[in-house]
Amino acid sequence: MGILAWLEASGLAEWVRTSTVGYPLMITAHAIGMAVMVGLAFLLDMRLLGMFRGIPFPALHRFFAVARAGFAINFLSGVALFTTEATTYVSDFMFVSKIALVLAGAATALWLQAAVGRDSTSWSDAVAPGAVRLVAVLSILCWVGATITGRLIAYL
Amino acid sequence: MDVIYDWMMSSWINGLVVDYPWTWPTLETLHFLGLCLLLGALLIMDLRLIGFQRTIPLGAVHALTPVAVTGFAINLVTGLGFVFGDPETYTANYAFWVKMVLVLLAGLNYAVFALRVEPSLARLGPRDAMPLSAKAVGVASLAVWFGVLAYGRLLPYVGG
Repeated sequence: MGILAWLEASGLAEWVRTSTVGYPLMITAHAIGMAVMVGLAFLLDMRLLGMFRGIPFPALHRFFAVARAGFAINFLSGVALFTTEATTYVSDFMFVSKIALVLAGAATALWLQAAVGRDSTSWSDAVAPGAVRLVAVLSILCWVGATITGRLIAYL
Repeated sequence: MDVIYDWMMSSWINGLVVDYPWTWPTLETLHFLGLCLLLGALLIMDLRLIGFQRTIPLGAVHALTPVAVTGFAINLVTGLGFVFGDPETYTANYAFWVKMVLVLLAGLNYAVFALRVEPSLARLGPRDAMPLSAKAVGVASLAVWFGVLAYGRLLPYVGG
């Protein structure tokens, strides 16, 4: 595909592939973004599943924002890493699976943040409704899946 | 040193790593999940210490400690798996030693928090501004642990 070959031949791709700093910087940023996004997702999901009830639901709002910053770091570093081998990654089953799981995880985060922001003040006894708890479980599964498939790209 | 290497390389953990190709990626994946638990919990706890989101009671944030401890425990065990699986590579790597020193510093910072800072927080009312000492340990904790993460990720690239 033309655009993938173009990306792979770009200055950015060349810099990430060949400079001393490029690749290590991008993978370190990607690890940091993962810790922030996935780490906070786990904690937020645990709260929504009923753990740590001393934390008021509306207070989670700003932590969703911090998680989004982690996601942004990973989107940018991820694009930079993708360009280095765009034509190969796009047909790599493990990579495509990871992206699908990341997008699904991001969708759960957006849905949960909206639900918490809109409705949580009416949740009695600080217990979230069944639908919210279901999506929180899906969120955990998506992010665990994204982490596993992400690691396996290098192996399979 | 040779005695220690021989002991590590004849261990059952080393056997698991050498004999089964899935051992290493499994250890790595668990290590990544452990660090997410640790850093996820610490982000909430340390940002609260810094004064972020003061609607969360300090006691509620303290309740997250077992999550951080669990993440750390997973990473301690999987970390031992790595080192016993390939002792000579790790001990020859400068980044590994820096990472271990940073983990110890994180432990020291936690001791300062538990012994000196946390008791002083008992007299704070809800939503009070956080004292400088609390902000300092919060910032130090995040800085050191993200440093651990960075050095860990860079291990293969720094080398011996």
